This record gives sequence, C-alpha cells and structure tokens, in this order.
Amino acid sequence: MMRDLRFYLLVALGLVAFPFALHLIKGYPGLATQILIVGIAAVGFNLLLGYAGLLSYGQAMFYGVGSYVSLLTVSRFFPAHPNFWLALILAVALVTVMASLIGALTVRLYGIYFALLTLAFAQMFFFIVFQWRDLTHGDDGLQGITAPPLPLGFTSIDLTTALPAANLGPLGNLADIHYWYVFAAIVLLLVLVFVRTLTTSQFGEVLRAIRENEERSTFVGFDPARYKLAAFVIAGALTGLSGALKGLYETSTSVETLNIETSGSFVIYTVLGGVHTLLGPLVGTGLVMYLQNVISGVTDSWRLIEGLVFVAIVIFLPGGLLGPLRDRSAARRRLAATVRTAPPSPTAPTASTGGAP
Amino acid sequence: MAIAIGLTIVFGMLRLVNFAHGAFYAIGAYVGLVIVKQLGLPLPVGLIVAPLAVAAFAVLLDRVVLVRFYDKDPTAQILVTFGIALVVEETLRLIFGGTTQTYPLPAALSGSLNLGFTTYPTYRIVFAAGIVLLVVAVWLFIQRTDFGLVVRAGIRDRTMVQLLGGNVRLASTVIFALGAGLAGLVGAGASPIYSVDPNTGFSFLVPSFVVVVIGGLGSFWGAVLGGLLVGELQSVTTIVQPAASDVIIYVAMALVLLVRPSGLLGESEVIRG
Amino acid sequence: MSDALLATRGLTKRFGHFAANSDIDFSVRAGELRAVIGPNGAGKTTFFNMLAGATLVTSGEIVFKGTPITTLAGPRRVARGIAKAFQTANIYPDETVLQNCRLAALAKLQGTFAPTFFRRSTRLGAVDERAHAALSDVDLSDAADARAGDLSHGDKKRLDIAIALATGPEVLLLDEPVAGMSIEEVQKTDRLIRVLAQRMTVLIIEHDMDLIMGISDSITVLHQGRILAQGTPAEIRADQRVQDAYLGGHVEGSASGDEEGAR
Repeated sequence: MMRDLRFYLLVALGLVAFPFALHLIKGYPGLATQILIVGIAAVGFNLLLGYAGLLSYGQAMFYGVGSYVSLLTVSRFFPAHPNFWLALILAVALVTVMASLIGALTVRLYGIYFALLTLAFAQMFFFIVFQWRDLTHGDDGLQGITAPPLPLGFTSIDLTTALPAANLGPLGNLADIHYWYVFAAIVLLLVLVFVRTLTTSQFGEVLRAIRENEERSTFVGFDPARYKLAAFVIAGALTGLSGALKGLYETSTSVETLNIETSGSFVIYTVLGGVHTLLGPLVGTGLVMYLQNVISGVTDSWRLIEGLVFVAIVIFLPGGLLGPLRDRSAARRRLAATVRTAPPSPTAPTASTGGAP
Repeated sequence: MAIAIGLTIVFGMLRLVNFAHGAFYAIGAYVGLVIVKQLGLPLPVGLIVAPLAVAAFAVLLDRVVLVRFYDKDPTAQILVTFGIALVVEETLRLIFGGTTQTYPLPAALSGSLNLGFTTYPTYRIVFAAGIVLLVVAVWLFIQRTDFGLVVRAGIRDRTMVQLLGGNVRLASTVIFALGAGLAGLVGAGASPIYSVDPNTGFSFLVPSFVVVVIGGLGSFWGAVLGGLLVGELQSVTTIVQPAASDVIIYVAMALVLLVRPSGLLGESEVIRG
Repeated sequence: MSDALLATRGLTKRFGHFAANSDIDFSVRAGELRAVIGPNGAGKTTFFNMLAGATLVTSGEIVFKGTPITTLAGPRRVARGIAKAFQTANIYPDETVLQNCRLAALAKLQGTFAPTFFRRSTRLGAVDERAHAALSDVDLSDAADARAGDLSHGDKKRLDIAIALATGPEVLLLDEPVAGMSIEEVQKTDRLIRVLAQRMTVLIIEHDMDLIMGISDSITVLHQGRILAQGTPAEIRADQRVQDAYLGGHVEGSASGDEEGAR
C-alpha cells in the first residue's frame, strides 16, 4: 500500500515537472498535453500486449471512433447543450460496445490471426468513417469544433485558459501551460491508478498466468477467452477515452486517426518504451512523439530511423527501454523470496505476506 | 482479385503469416519498375528478375534476422516482421519518392481483347491466366514433390520432421523464400494494372488476409474460393452500392467469423489457442 | 455402469482418416485406481485428452456423475472435478512453486472467470491453505519459494500433480507420472499415488509395469485405439492377447524395452 502511494506520488511529481523539462529541450507547449493524451491509449495497449499477451493492430479504430464521437456529440448530437463529460461518456460507451463485439469474434484466435484480424476490423472502420460523409465529412475530417468548458459542479473551466503568468527563466513561462494539461495529467494519473490496481489484482494475476502458460491455465480451470475479452474491452475503452480527449483538445480529427499507421504507432510506442512495465508505454510515447516533432524538421528519413530503431529493440532489447529496470527489480524480489528458508509449519498454513512476484 | 489469390495461396498454404509479405510484394513491384522503366528491358525480364531479387532478400532476412525468432513466441515474430515491413516501406519511399508510379505496358499486351460479350484489357487476362498457372504450379510442387512433402509436414509438426531427419531449417528458409518470391512475382506482374506506390505493401496485406479468413486457414482451395468470392462480392457491390464496396469484404469476414470461424473450407482445429 | 463416476460410450476420435480412438466403452467407479496401458500409439493420451476436454470428440459420449459432459469446455470440467496432470510437466516456469499451486486453488475458488478487478487474491485465505496442502501432499513444501522452472525433472512432475490436486478434483488423470524419473523418485511417486487413491478416483497411464501391477485396482488395455482387455492386474497378466499386443509379451515385471526406446 505504501509502496503504491509512493509510486503515485513520484508519478505526480513527474507530471508536474514534465512540461517544464520539455520546454528545456525545445518541445512546443502543446506537445506535453498531446503526449499525455496519446499516452493513455498506449497504457491501454500495453494492458493488452504486456499483460494479456494479445497483439492488436487495430487500436486505431477505438482511438479514431472515440475522437469522432466526442466531437460529434458536441457539434451534432447536442449542439444546444454541449457537455464535455457527455462527450467523453458517449465516446467511451460506444467504443466499449465495439470492443465487446469485435473481441467476442477475435480473442479465441492465435496471435498472428488475432493481430491481422484486428487490423482488418480497423480497416473496416476506416472505410466506414471515410464513406459516411454525411456524418464524418469523410476525407476532410471534422474541424474547428471548440470544446465546451469542463463542468465541475459549482463552476466550469474553459480548459484552454492558461495558468497565471509567471516567468520561470529557462523553464519557460507558467502561462505556456493551459488547464488542458492539468486535466490530462489528472486523467492520466487516474488511468495509471486504475491499470496498476487491475494488474495487481486477482484478475491481473490470472491474466498473467494465462499469458505465461495458456494451456496450463485452461486445465487449472480458468477460461482464457473471457479474460482476454475483458482485457480487450478495457484496453479498447481506454483507447477510446484517449481518442475522445484528443478530439476535444485539438478541436478536430480526421480519418487518419483510424489508419494503419496510427495502429502501428501504438505498437511502436509501447514496445519501445517497455512492454511489461506500467510506465514504459508513456516513456515510449513521449520519446517518439518528441523526436518526431523535433527530428522531422531536420531530415526526411525520420520514419526510416524509427523503423530501424524499432526492429533493433525487438531483436536486442525486447523488454523495451524500461525493460532492464523491471527485470532487475523482479530478480531482486525473487531473491528476497528465496532467502526465506523456513518452510511453513506442516499444520498451520502461513498467511501470504504480499502479492505474488 | 487475382492478386489476392496469389498472395493468399502463400498465406493459406504455408501458414506463414507475416507482415513482411506485403513488403515483398512491394519490392517485387519496384524491382520490376526499375527494370522495365529505367533500364528499358522487356517485361518478361522484369518478371524473372523481380522474384529472384525478392527471394534473395528474403533469404538474407531469414538467415540474419528471423533465425533468432524461430523458437520465440509468435508475438515477437509478428513484431519483428512488422518492423521490417516498416523499414522496407520507408526505404522504398526514400528511394523512389512517395508518388504513385505506373508501368508502361509492352505493346503486344496492351489494348483489349474482344471476348464476344465484352471487351477486356488484354493484360488483365494474361495476368489472370498467369496467376492460375502459378497457383497450379505451386500446388503441384507442394503436393507432388518430395520436397513439398517435407514442407507440408514441417508446417504440421516441426519437431517431428526434424526427428525424422528432414532438414527443417533449410525447408523453412526455402518456404519463406518461395513465398517471398511469389509475392515479388505477383508484385511485378500486377503493377501494370495497379500502379506502384510505397504503400502497396500494406494495402494488399489486409485484403489478402481477409480472403484467407473467409476461404479458410490452411486450405489451398479455400484460398482460391475465398479469392473468387471476395472478387465477385466486390464487383457486385461496386455496381449496386459503390460506397459500400470497400467495407463489404470486412462485413463478409465478420460474418464468416461468427458462423464458421475456421473459414469456409478451413480445418477446424487449426486456429484455436 | 449406472454407479460409474466417469464413463464413456462409443467414444471415438478421428484425425482425418486416422482413428486414434474407436468405440471406447469405459467406466470407472468412485475410489477406483484404474490404469490405462497399451503399446505406443494405442491412443491412451488421446483418450485422456478427450476426458479432460483437451481434444474434441468425434463421436460418442462422456458421462460424469450421471451428466453428459461431452461438449463441456476444459475449464468447466476442472471446475466439476476432473483434473489432469500432463505427460510433460506443464507448469508456470517463471512463478514460484507455491504460486503455481495458488493459481490452481484460485481457479477452483473463483470459478472460470471472475471480474475481480480491484481485489487481490490474498484476500482469499483458502487459496493459500489449499496450495500449501497440495504441496505438502507431494512433499514439495520445502521448495515453496523456489522458481518452478528451476526444479529437477522429477520435482516438476510432482509439482504438476500438486497443481492438479490444488483444484480439489474427484477424478485425477495422471499421464505417465513417473516417466523419466529415478528409482527413488518412482518409489516416492508410488507412495503418493496410493495415498491419493484413497481420497479420490485416479486414472493413470503408465508404461512402468511394476508400478501398475502393484497399485492398480483394475487395468484397461488399449490397442490401436480400441479396448483390448479390462480386468484385475492378475487377469491382465494372464491374458494372451495382451501379451501378444506388447510384441513379445513382457507385460509382467519391468517395463518392456520397446516402449522406452520408441518414445
């Protein structure tokens, strides 16, 4: 419990420091917020890949649909009373239904087929959105839809307002940061709390067991398909949330949010950052998005470099950048466990002293 | 449609699904382009060189990179082939630029044939015929030759084949190269019809896969049947309701998954975990 | 047949044209220790796999406690009380020995799926109890905190059995439990099986004839996918057909060299 609190505190501090650090390395102000928003989807994706062992190449469909639904809620569905929370809720709800249906059809299939199937479904949604010009404006996408202020009970905040101005020297000006960043940071923190609780829970324990040895898990009495479906739906919902936020933040969206590249980018961010770690996907997202923005100004072959680095990581460092950190801490824990030499007394079973390694 | 068949044979038969397949197709297309357009050599030369070049590349890839992944879990394999596909796509883009390019057709094959009830571009007919021949050739090879036997057995049970003395390593490299070469050949041959751009790889990957799912995983005739069905479905939809023509194949795929997950002609115990 | 705990009628499994099991009419009563033997390729493991739900049945019926379970999925069968220990020890190598058993106990206690997103399994004290009990049954309590993948071959097989035990089965299927074990380990396992046989029904596939003859209540002999003979150890030992099936009839005494070599 204490360890968890300490962890969240550290993350919170990191989130506070992040925009300033980014400014130091020439990231533009909105980048921090964008990274956090996309990071939510990456964390969701990691739940699927790192913990459930499912490689989905179709997360873009949840991301894209999420963004369209949130923007449409505000502009088309309820133009008279646009409500921020409603936009998020509708987006997540619809995406959850999507994920449930698609997941039910796909989770029973072997890794490779699952990956391509999710890609195929994503393509399907890509075309649906593309063709449904009436609703989505097809190729042009949706633009210029300002997000309503965030209702907070007694008051509401326009998230685009800046923080009070305060010159912080090389760290920039406090006013560079908008309330959007604060909001995104809070949402991300909540998502991290949720995912961490999930992975250390009974559910997470079983999920991990299924990933480690599905056959054994089946014959121990777990139903792998339902667990995978649950993971798929949760990951999809998180991705949809991310998309919804992105739409509202950028006041626009386009069919590109549903294409193969977008799906691929989630894969890259997560694998790069660290597939079995909680924060790895965030690190990956931050790193890649930052480099994308900075380097692509310099050279055209950015994407080639990205691809090569990705291949290199998969071959040489499959745990991602944060992988070694996690391996060391896991090894340390295992070592501590084996040091406990006294076996439990034969009659009285010992109460377990903490979560499994 | 014919292309889909060509590629899906490879998928379905060899049970070797990897992202780089699309990349092989694209490489084949570009090699063909270089040969025909820039070197000015006749198309048949392109059709011979392209698959060889692609196969060579595939062998290189297999030996250098993929060999480390044979015993690892499929996820790692998918990831690495995905990465490779990306790298290939980007390299092609850098070399050839991002715009679509077209092949010139050899004079003898351009124009149309009058088939009595309709005229049809000559090249398409020739190409379709070529695909059919290719398909038959591959089928014969796999079904009738000793080597093909090793290939088929190896797909079913790698370890067993090794124990029986078959050289699985060599066989898999050959299968891989064969598949790649086929993809390259189809790529080179199809480009006069579909034109070439760096995205070609991925854009054919998915429809091919859909065809395999519909027709049945692991089934040769399933892939053929699937390809025909999908082709027909698309043509019909384009006439009736053009907007739906892109989506219809995915809807069909979803239906098949729902009703008969192993595909129309697939083997039922193939895919389950 | 009507008081059988587990029974099959006309159970058949075909792979393409090849019939691995044909028309098997089998039944075992509660508390029995039944050995299933036969030369390699007789279809023993296929039979067990169908009982456990690992392989789909081509035709025929499986009845457990009076209820047909022929199409019931694997996890559900475990929940009902049919547990299987694998031929090649199938464990979670990266988890501790204790955790391996805890997972099995957890499955029994929570069912095939539980959306417990926010609770930890440590809340369920019974999980640890069962896990420890299973480990002490197979005498692996000392190794509770060891990494399962690091265990010796014999220990891994015993862990596999412990995992099956932790699910609280009524019927335990053991597929070659002593394969590859040293003499002491075989003796240990012999004692273990006898103890277990007093608490539950045990079905065991084995080639070690000393073991089989010593502990079984009754034996079913499979040959080329069909039942060749059934009876007490004495009856089987005397049965000429069984002797013939084993290529020179070394049914009595130590396991035939043919079996070991051909594996």
